[in-house]
Amino acid sequence: MTLPSRWTSQIAALAALLMAALFFGWWFGGTGWWVAGATLLYLAFTLRHLYWLDRALDGHRRVPLFETRGLWAEIFARVEKLRAKARNRKKKYHRLLREVRESTGALSDGGIILNADHEIMWFNPAAARLLGLSQATDIGNRLDNLLRHPDFVTYLKAPAGDGITVASPRREGAWLHVQIIPYGTDQRLAIVRDVTNEKNVERTRRDFVANASHELRSPLTVISGYLEALRDTDDVPETWRTPVAEMQRQADRMARILRDLIELSRLESSDAAAARDFVDVGSLLKQIVRELGEPSGPKVELAVTTDAALLGKESELYSIFHNLVHNAVRFTPPSGRVEVVWRAAGGAAVFEVVDTGIGIPEEQIPRVTERFYRVDPGRSRASGGTGLGLAIVKHALQRHEGELTIVSREGEGSTFSCKFPKDRVVFRSDAARAVL
Amino acid sequence: MEVEDLGHHISRRFNEDLERVRNAVLSMGGLVEEQLERAIKALSEGDSQLGLKVAEDDVKVNRMEVRIDEECSRILATRAPTAGDLRLVIAIIKTITDLERIGDEAEKIGVLAARLASVERPPTNYRELRNLARHVKLMVHGSLNAFARLDTKGALEVVKADNAVDEEYESIYRQSITLMTEDSRAITRVLDMIWMGRALERIGDHAKNICEYVIFMVHGRDVRHIGLKNIEDEVEQGARRVESRS
Repeated sequence: MTLPSRWTSQIAALAALLMAALFFGWWFGGTGWWVAGATLLYLAFTLRHLYWLDRALDGHRRVPLFETRGLWAEIFARVEKLRAKARNRKKKYHRLLREVRESTGALSDGGIILNADHEIMWFNPAAARLLGLSQATDIGNRLDNLLRHPDFVTYLKAPAGDGITVASPRREGAWLHVQIIPYGTDQRLAIVRDVTNEKNVERTRRDFVANASHELRSPLTVISGYLEALRDTDDVPETWRTPVAEMQRQADRMARILRDLIELSRLESSDAAAARDFVDVGSLLKQIVRELGEPSGPKVELAVTTDAALLGKESELYSIFHNLVHNAVRFTPPSGRVEVVWRAAGGAAVFEVVDTGIGIPEEQIPRVTERFYRVDPGRSRASGGTGLGLAIVKHALQRHEGELTIVSREGEGSTFSCKFPKDRVVFRSDAARAVL
Repeated sequence: MEVEDLGHHISRRFNEDLERVRNAVLSMGGLVEEQLERAIKALSEGDSQLGLKVAEDDVKVNRMEVRIDEECSRILATRAPTAGDLRLVIAIIKTITDLERIGDEAEKIGVLAARLASVERPPTNYRELRNLARHVKLMVHGSLNAFARLDTKGALEVVKADNAVDEEYESIYRQSITLMTEDSRAITRVLDMIWMGRALERIGDHAKNICEYVIFMVHGRDVRHIGLKNIEDEVEQGARRVESRS
């Protein structure tokens, strides 16, 4: 072990002092007094430095030192260095904190940090503005005590999906979107965004589509009526027969598109969940298969393996089933096969349409439920599609809390399955058993 | 005598019980606010289905009241709270009664709105009623916020607002009489309007009551029936006491 030089020099100084005391004691006599005196001197020297060290640790800047080198000088130099380092770090954190505060303050979205009990730990000015929170009273208060909308409270308890849109508690007609993001062990971050504009634009668009469809329907009815009359009279020259028939077909198609548009906008504008009427799925499917199975088309088979009925809105369920089966029939060659399945899956129930049709390229599957999205425009139109069928299916299914899954392989066929949740499914065998 | 901090208790469980029941009151409040909101929407949009739905959903409010009431009885019986805690429980029991009544009035408004939806609408689309409704909604919102924050200043604001609401109701009432004398065919509809105004005005009173309980809960002073001026004094004194303590 080698001692640092500051220690060796200190010990050397002490040894020299004691040696000197011994020498003077030997020279003048009274050795004990000399040694005691030297020790006291050293003790006083050390105490004085300890005193200043104490002051220095308390934050005192100027320390009178006897020496510029040696043990004490170095100790003080190191204390000063540590303090400077701490000062710098503090300054840095201050700056960082100020920057973070300024940047979160400049954010237009509100941010709120919640603990496990939904208590507010921190929020930025935008959150204060959007929700009417105040720094003085609301830190430590529960967020659901201040934002009390029942839907939000439910969402806060079990955040799922990408957030929830609620009416603003502060401004009439304003809408807020709140998303809860869990992080750390049990903290959550709530992001609040003003979506009034989006909501208004969305509504304007929806209203426009609904109104335009309604307005277009009446003139179209007139046109269709005359075309029908024209087709049935013999006064039409032979050369015009085909064009009139084509016009009639196109007018019918337009009517179908308008009907689908109106249906879609109706589905979109009713946010509440679908009604819970008793719907006998088995017989509904039988009817649909009868309507859509044509001798010239692919073979349509019905496989109902459960007596489950659904609690829902019959017209919307009909839309779902009809559109899916219709699609399968349209995109399957006459030699192919379409299987319509209604089966139980645990407590839930699944409606499935399996076809051996042309299939959908994998990268397009996520887009097929978009309005007017067509995998193969020419073919789809030729087979009488409106481009809205799957969009209707998606929305109607959402209103029944159902899930749509699409599995498809190009050239081999597709499977569309709709899974209905437990609380919408009634098994009649159970019901019968319960009664008996 | 003040409730400075509801968060310190020897028994953790007791604390949790109180906190839970307080939160339950506020979620009941949220439900009532939503009911009121929808009832008013049913009126302004002439949506009879929504109006009837509100009336139907009132059972949810009633159910919550019963549940909170039971919980309060249980706390009183098993924990025997004192001082601030006792005041909290008493205030909660009273608050939920008023909340339940607000729910009842909202139900009434829903039914009336459904009825008004099927008759001819005045060109103003019930502007006066909608205005009154907006003020009343703000009062209910303010009273629940005051309850959540134990904010007596906010409570005082709501108590003050009640006078304006009363005046507004008066003016609707007078106006309705004129309408009825002018056109006797509109009497049924105008009567329904008066009933609705009355229901809204009552909601304002209930919101005011809730605020008085908040003041009672925080400062330990019963401020019912003593006039606005005296309530103001009490709140100010209470705030000063809290300040001098901290």
